[in-house]
Amino acid sequence: MSGHLLTVTELTVKRSGAKRPEIDRLSLAVDAGETLVILGEAGCGKEALMRVLAGAPDRDEIVDGTVQFGDASPERAVKFPRPLIRMSYLPGPFEQPLSRHVSVLSQLTRIVARKLDAPRASAQEELGLALGRLTGAPKLADLDRPPAALSPELQAWGLFAAAYAQNPELLLADHALAGLAPGHARALTRALLAEQARLGFAILYAAMNAETPVWLKGRLIVMRHGKIVEEGPAERLATSQAHSYTQTLFKARPPAVSDKPQPRASTRGQPVIQAYRIEMAKPSPKRARDDLTFELRRGASLALIGDEGSGRHALARILLGLDHAPAGRVVFDAVDIGVLARNMMARLRRRVAFVVGADDMLDPRMTIWDTVAEPLRTHLDLPRHVIANYRDVALKRVGLASLPGNRVVANLSAFDKRRLQVARAIVSAPVLAVIDEPLRGLDAFAQAVMRDLLKNFRTQEGPAFLVITSDIMVAQSFAEDAMIMKDGRVIERGPLADILRAPKAAYTLSLIEASAPVKNSALPPAASQG
Amino acid sequence: MSVVSANEIPRPAITIGGVIRAVGFIGLGAIGVTVGLSDVLARAPADVVDFGSPLITPSPHFPLGTDILGRDMLSETLHALAVTVTNAGLAAIVVVVAGGLAGFIAARLPYRIGFLLRGIAGILCAIPALLLAILLIGLVNRGLAPLAAGLAAAPLGFARAFDRARGLGQSRHAEFARATGISPGALLRRDLTYEFRDSFLSIAARALAAVTIVLSTVSFLGYGATPPHRDLGLMIAAARDVYFDAWWTAAVPAAALALFILCARLAAGLEEGERA
Repeated sequence: MSGHLLTVTELTVKRSGAKRPEIDRLSLAVDAGETLVILGEAGCGKEALMRVLAGAPDRDEIVDGTVQFGDASPERAVKFPRPLIRMSYLPGPFEQPLSRHVSVLSQLTRIVARKLDAPRASAQEELGLALGRLTGAPKLADLDRPPAALSPELQAWGLFAAAYAQNPELLLADHALAGLAPGHARALTRALLAEQARLGFAILYAAMNAETPVWLKGRLIVMRHGKIVEEGPAERLATSQAHSYTQTLFKARPPAVSDKPQPRASTRGQPVIQAYRIEMAKPSPKRARDDLTFELRRGASLALIGDEGSGRHALARILLGLDHAPAGRVVFDAVDIGVLARNMMARLRRRVAFVVGADDMLDPRMTIWDTVAEPLRTHLDLPRHVIANYRDVALKRVGLASLPGNRVVANLSAFDKRRLQVARAIVSAPVLAVIDEPLRGLDAFAQAVMRDLLKNFRTQEGPAFLVITSDIMVAQSFAEDAMIMKDGRVIERGPLADILRAPKAAYTLSLIEASAPVKNSALPPAASQG
Repeated sequence: MSVVSANEIPRPAITIGGVIRAVGFIGLGAIGVTVGLSDVLARAPADVVDFGSPLITPSPHFPLGTDILGRDMLSETLHALAVTVTNAGLAAIVVVVAGGLAGFIAARLPYRIGFLLRGIAGILCAIPALLLAILLIGLVNRGLAPLAAGLAAAPLGFARAFDRARGLGQSRHAEFARATGISPGALLRRDLTYEFRDSFLSIAARALAAVTIVLSTVSFLGYGATPPHRDLGLMIAAARDVYFDAWWTAAVPAAALALFILCARLAAGLEEGERA
């Protein structure tokens, strides 16, 4: 008898043909009610561990070692033993675990019904009860839409509730909070800890950022190249790390909001965007006027901060001429875009570059070289060798020059795709760069690299930065001015440093609190949630 | 997060579909070589009567026997296969151009025009390609049977290409490209390049199977090939009266036709598509 809820012994996972294993003789144990967080960068082995424990290793993965559930005899992991404990798998919404054709509610109900071996009506009731217990969760009816019609945050609430409704003994949380808006991530963490205290389940959490283990407390295992490099209580490792890799992981955490406000860039160029008396919605007597007037100059930066549905994307689309404002005028690069024909607008947009935190923004069929060279080939009549030169320089700057240029985008990691977007932006020599949640879904190292790349891009090419984010810390990394948006309105605006120092709106304060790194174990109270 | 490590290139996996396609293309290649050498392999020129006695059963001297007019069945089958393959190849090109390519371009036309064309293609899809081919042959002449068969089989390819191109045009990466000033023309070029690079062979093989059935049936019914350039459909039709007494007269061209269509369908990965 092991006495543990889950015991993994000498687990090795290797892809056929790969030089080194994804997991190299890993042994670990999880006790009942315990929280164990496995931390590491993408590809450190935690993903493979989750796949094996969830009973779904990839086809080309060769698995060896034993897995033991509770007091049952250990069984070889290659033929995954049927768990004798109640185990539920909790993926993150950005992994797109649900079918896009069926409503989220229907899919989650089916999962719960299957796991509980209960009729669907009972399962839906269980799901509703679980959702009702979670502070800040949406209503059950809100989930009765396909995933594409719901924000990732709403989907996450549903996924978490479905996991709790299964009344698990062990919860396998696979990057369940990755990429979510900080406010929702913290609310979900609070709910997770409350449910754990109520139901007494153990949590095995795969994390790629150092914040999650600090939020969840419990025990922390740091993995690198398939091996454990350090292990201990999360609270201790958050402050003192023995291994240099762990130190680097925790150093990669972004600075605290109030630690170091971004100094204003000293040089400003010509106005890139001039907005005059913009209205976000049709003027009506019931709604106060937005009356947005501002300008964004070359070299300057503006962050549109708010949660999903706050109107930040709608405002950005108006500023870029993708949508028309109900009232007001936008001048882009000294041209009034309200009077421009579509083809002329398209010509103007050549001076705009995007770096977006979504992996489907680049054509998956294109090669690395084609992706970077396309703006040059399409917009400028340059000789091939000149294009190749620009392309190679850009790829070198983002650290992708070592990859074969004929590799297609579909075969790149999320981090590589993100860097490829930066390379494409560099060759475009834009006057405006739209930076939309650029760090979403990346591990701590990748986030640190992306931060440096974008700062370097801004310094060297000097475009204006329009940053769209729900994370104050991301905004702080790239912008000096900010507009806080909620329910389709700008509720606060001004220099970001001033907003951080003295927020006027409660919602702004909640955003700041949600984004501030937690000192050791203190998760801020939910009371100030906006 | 399931990501591919920066230094590990996923190896192309050998799939059942890939093996099926490879077998199909090997078969088509072998048929192509046979057709190229048909004049050398055939002992008699096309449509030479009284080469032997009528209706000789398959024997060492006439491996596939003779037909009712004493034509060597082996030589006739080789010549007819050459005619069938050539005509089907021409018709398949028509399908790829008038179906796939036109459908792709139509999807990028102004909304109303594009959907009008898609609607017309949808209506034409509802008419059996065989009837459409006979109608078109009646409007032109039987010498243009490959063109008629190609146009008859094209609507489904048009509809598929149109829907695919619409999907690509509405994808996030296309929206991203447009937002950075990539012109519709450049986007169309991009889509055509990658789509045809990735699926040209599959589309062409699918079209080849479809038009072969249409062309052979048209010839069987007497609206297609004419002597001395008989194709396999016409050979089967010529054996109608003696089939129950001399099975080889119809079975040999039918087997050759079935083999060619099977190879084309295998090369298309047994995908459903432009059907006769």
